[in-house]
Amino acid sequence: MKKIKVFIILVVAIFISVPIYFSRETFVTPIVDRLDVGMENYEVEKMQQRLKNWGYYDGEVNGKYDFATMRSVRDFQKTHNIPVTGIAKEDTLTAMGLTTTLKWGEVYAQSNQTRDEQLMARAINGEARGEPYEGQVAVGAVILNRVRDPSFPNTVAGVIYQPLAFTAVADGQINVPIDPDSTVVQAARDALSGWDPTNGCLYYWNPATATSKWIWSRRVVKKIGKHNFGL
Amino acid sequence: MSIREKLLDFKRRLSDRKMYSITILVIAAVAMWGMYQYKHAANLRQELDNQYNRAFYEMVGYVNNVQVLLMKSLITSTPNGTATTMQEAWRQANMAQTNLGQLPISQHVLANTSKFLTQVGDLAYSINHDNMSGQNLKEDQYELIEKLHGFAVSLDQSLNDLQNQITAGRIKWGELADKGTPVFQRTSQELPGKQFENLDKTFQDYPSLIYNGPFSDHLTEIEPKALTGENISQEEGKKSVIKFFGEDKVEAVNETGRNDETKIKTYSYEVTFKNTPQEQKASVDITQKGGHVFWMLYSRPTGKETIDIEKAKELGIKYLDERGYEGMVDTYYIKEDGTAIINYAYKQDDVIIYPDLIKVKIALDNGEVVGFESKGYLHAHRARDIPEPKITLEEAREMITSRMEILSSGLAIIPTDYKTELFTYEFKGKLNDRDFLVYINAETGNEERILMIIDTPNGILTM
Repeated sequence: MKKIKVFIILVVAIFISVPIYFSRETFVTPIVDRLDVGMENYEVEKMQQRLKNWGYYDGEVNGKYDFATMRSVRDFQKTHNIPVTGIAKEDTLTAMGLTTTLKWGEVYAQSNQTRDEQLMARAINGEARGEPYEGQVAVGAVILNRVRDPSFPNTVAGVIYQPLAFTAVADGQINVPIDPDSTVVQAARDALSGWDPTNGCLYYWNPATATSKWIWSRRVVKKIGKHNFGL
Repeated sequence: MSIREKLLDFKRRLSDRKMYSITILVIAAVAMWGMYQYKHAANLRQELDNQYNRAFYEMVGYVNNVQVLLMKSLITSTPNGTATTMQEAWRQANMAQTNLGQLPISQHVLANTSKFLTQVGDLAYSINHDNMSGQNLKEDQYELIEKLHGFAVSLDQSLNDLQNQITAGRIKWGELADKGTPVFQRTSQELPGKQFENLDKTFQDYPSLIYNGPFSDHLTEIEPKALTGENISQEEGKKSVIKFFGEDKVEAVNETGRNDETKIKTYSYEVTFKNTPQEQKASVDITQKGGHVFWMLYSRPTGKETIDIEKAKELGIKYLDERGYEGMVDTYYIKEDGTAIINYAYKQDDVIIYPDLIKVKIALDNGEVVGFESKGYLHAHRARDIPEPKITLEEAREMITSRMEILSSGLAIIPTDYKTELFTYEFKGKLNDRDFLVYINAETGNEERILMIIDTPNGILTM
């Protein structure tokens, strides 16, 4: 009888815990803990731009939390019934709409990468994590060569998310977090800066795993690591 | 206990009423979970199908509009009217191309269709640009549009047929996107895919298009101008590599391949250095003609920054001078993760020549050069006959809005998107706390380009 009870409890526990496990809670929080006089960063710049748009601030949008910025924060706080301190804490930043989404257990992470760089780094991470550096830059270069080719979509996102184009996109590998020690971000940056180890290639494939017969009709220009690069 | 006994035991226990109901409960729970998963998957598939349908129907609509607009542009008789229709054709062709890229069909199946749509848009944009300055359609442009209109009509017809087949349920997107189980793979990939292959056949014998736009066909055929010298062997290329890095530094140079397929043919090498770990290698490509260094990348971890950007710029100039690239000046840079990528342009008679571009990547821990890229320079560099500007600096200055405060000015040659060059005055100025570069054509006085300068802690970028 005891066994049965244990069994029932176990089944119930599994049915409850599975959905919880898969939906780790996320919450909305200000972009930073606080912004205060003397700080100088991109977050301050974002705040200044908003204050300027709304008419509280008429100085230069330069990312420096100076006296004029503080005065405009006070004005904003006064109008919005927030304790007037001149320091932008959680309440003020939330009222300004300067928030971000975090998952439980995550910490604030700043990112000064551009959109294309991030997206491309993730694509390289999914497609060529284990490849030599040159091979990683080459994958980025192929993405850019496609953007410039009339037969492909004309944006980085369009090329990366074109259906059936990249296996790493199809199987979700593109969403694998980037290892902080990995060189893929550097590789994306070098590709965007103009380095092209492939000399204009539009395709690449792994000769060991490629299933499409069509891809073998391409001319091979270069072999880097496990990949063939071709036109 | 044998399996038979186990089963019998299980049967005995099943006859226990409580056990019986528990088993039923578990089965019911699993069935419900399965049902939920199935419904969820079906919903997602439907949603995806709807997206594909939306993309397809929109594309059909846009292609139809492009076809009509091309026709209209032939009939309008004023430059203004042509400009308006061309602008609209450009927009509609772009949207058609974007939607095409979202269909679950392998890129190579619809490569020509995609190319057609890109080029129609690109050409329309270029003609629109001409018409804005008051030119009527030239005879060759007229013929080109007429030809493209013919292709647009055929594409429009084929798409209408396809649309009918999709509406009738004969083509299902799911089958195109699914790789399917190996047994069904053949049929599912071949049948509907064939329809799209036939669509692409509309563009058999599609002519090469040459016009002033970034997607024009002649761009890949342009001869590189600075690719001077004799053809060398791969063995001789090694010498160029060693000379480039310095004999005292290089430990070994290994051949890793050659490329004979592209306009600039190259040899590839891998370089290891003395007193550094074996796995830290540099990759380098040398042109087969002349033995010029095409590009070089050396990926190594960088330590603490000890060099500021001004010093790095100097080091870069020195590095270029030593390798025979004289008269280069630094323009823009990006600094990140302990390295700086600095752009150098050629300067001739006080005119900055931006197309002659070399990028140098410098490690900021010890000033070593860890990257080099000379594609722009090899394509464009030559001794130029720079003419006297037809308009004066003061006249050019008049062309700029008085709202902009001008900080500096000079002469510059800038590249266009279609690899030609423009002789311009470059004005640097400020408007609303933002820095701008404005380029005024030194021959016609046209405002050719405006760049916004973004001065970040990581470097100066232009947009």
